Amino acid sequence: MIAALSSEWLKIRTTRTIFWLLFALAAIVTLFTVAGILTNNKESLTGASNQLDLIGIGVLSVLIALIMGLIVSTGEFRHGTITPTLLSTPSRPLVVISKAIAAVLLGVTLVAFAEVLVIAEMAALLPLRGIDFTLQGGDVARLLIRILAASAIWAGIGSALGLAFRNQIGTFVGCFAWLFFAEPLVQGILGSHWINSDAGRFLPLSSTGSIFNSANDNSANDMLSPWAGAATLSGWMLLATIVALVLLSRRDVS
Amino acid sequence: MIEISGLRKRYGKTLAVDDLSFAVEPGRVVGFLGPNGAGKTTTLRILLGLVHANAGQATILGKNYSQLERPFCQVGAVLEASGFHPGRKARNHLRVLARAGHAPEKRVDEVLAQVGLEGAAKKRVGGYSLGMRQRLALASALLGDPGVLILDEPANGLDPEGIRWLRDFLRALAEEGRAVLISSHVLAEVEQTVDEVVIINKGKLVAHGSVEELKRGVDGRVRVSSPQGKELEQELAKAGFEVSKDGDALLVAGATSAQVGELAAKSSFVLHELTPVATQLEDVFFELTSEEQK
Repeated sequence: MIAALSSEWLKIRTTRTIFWLLFALAAIVTLFTVAGILTNNKESLTGASNQLDLIGIGVLSVLIALIMGLIVSTGEFRHGTITPTLLSTPSRPLVVISKAIAAVLLGVTLVAFAEVLVIAEMAALLPLRGIDFTLQGGDVARLLIRILAASAIWAGIGSALGLAFRNQIGTFVGCFAWLFFAEPLVQGILGSHWINSDAGRFLPLSSTGSIFNSANDNSANDMLSPWAGAATLSGWMLLATIVALVLLSRRDVS
Repeated sequence: MIEISGLRKRYGKTLAVDDLSFAVEPGRVVGFLGPNGAGKTTTLRILLGLVHANAGQATILGKNYSQLERPFCQVGAVLEASGFHPGRKARNHLRVLARAGHAPEKRVDEVLAQVGLEGAAKKRVGGYSLGMRQRLALASALLGDPGVLILDEPANGLDPEGIRWLRDFLRALAEEGRAVLISSHVLAEVEQTVDEVVIINKGKLVAHGSVEELKRGVDGRVRVSSPQGKELEQELAKAGFEVSKDGDALLVAGATSAQVGELAAKSSFVLHELTPVATQLEDVFFELTSEEQK
């Protein structure tokens, strides 16, 4: 297990893709943080809760984590490296699991990178506008844990979907079509007055939203609690992993 | 060391491997031959646990590949030149495999030197020529210092110097007591490398034996040229020999030089050339695979 995981992690580290994604993440996060600090008025930047909103931009790493998870596993089929991978690790369940764990670790790394960057930029730029950096450790930790959880789970989902569906472009298009079109549509249909069901809360994107739901207002809307959201999203990851396990184990690799 | 028995694999309506059985002993280099689509690659992939067979067994050292204790260190395989991430450096490609396959990391530099790639180790594989990729594939097969090597078309993309290198390399590996199963369509190369050949066609075993044994089963040919070529051709055909043109000369199948010479002398034909043509593995191959197709 350790050998397979260490090999997967080395795979991630030894192509340039990860560095391009880190660069893209840094660029987007910096753009939003710097623009937020320079363009907002002083009042809306003062105080812990406003500053916490700024850190929230790190949530972008959830998307990058999904993309990286997809690339890590579909790349094996795109470049034909699945053959040497299965020759060095013939147990297919072990390949699925070590890839999922490597993707989760990657998700965590991406968030850590993005958030360290945002906080450093805030600490450097806020005093320039004469604003005190007043973030509370506890609030920051709570938000970071939520972003970490969501990114890690989405990276795992990406890795499993990639192994299950193999085709890089197809899986990318499918994932984004689900997130931006299909899920809102299904959500709308389920919530419409004909069906009037709140089952939409359990869909992947909605449960991700629930992870960021602040504890006070979950009764006021129809979202799950953050814990339930994380558990539901983990369930989706588990499902995707099982599908990947079954499909990869049955398939011929030729 | 390698044992295939009653192996069967169906893809839709096509029977890719049909009740195939043969074995490879240690210290032997065995050529695995057949026309395109004969089922060679499918057989090798089943042997390596990548493709699931519908029936039969394909074992290495008495076990399925995935049940071996340290498969990567017991069996080395070269399957295709495309199994590389183009953005990864060659040395890193090998490090990735060494880690997963429990091969010591120091082997990475050793095998790079063994295949003559130490100078290009830090280049990204995307910039490699086909021949360099083939050497890298061979390096990855040798990482675990395995006792069994399974090579699918390892000569593909190698230049003549590379092919000669491969030949010597495989012989040296076999002399160390390893079993080598090598598929190839470059028959002349295989002929100089292998101890025995397994020939398959349409998924079925056609022949298995040493090259010499198989050659004995194929009729010899004689090359003959004469200024009275047309008349000679008619006489030979009348005598029941199969005659074909080879430039200005004639190729007579199923005849010895003595038979052709005597026949020519009887009709007082002038001969400019009368040469027995050495039987090549290619001749054996075509005869066996085309017979099967008839």
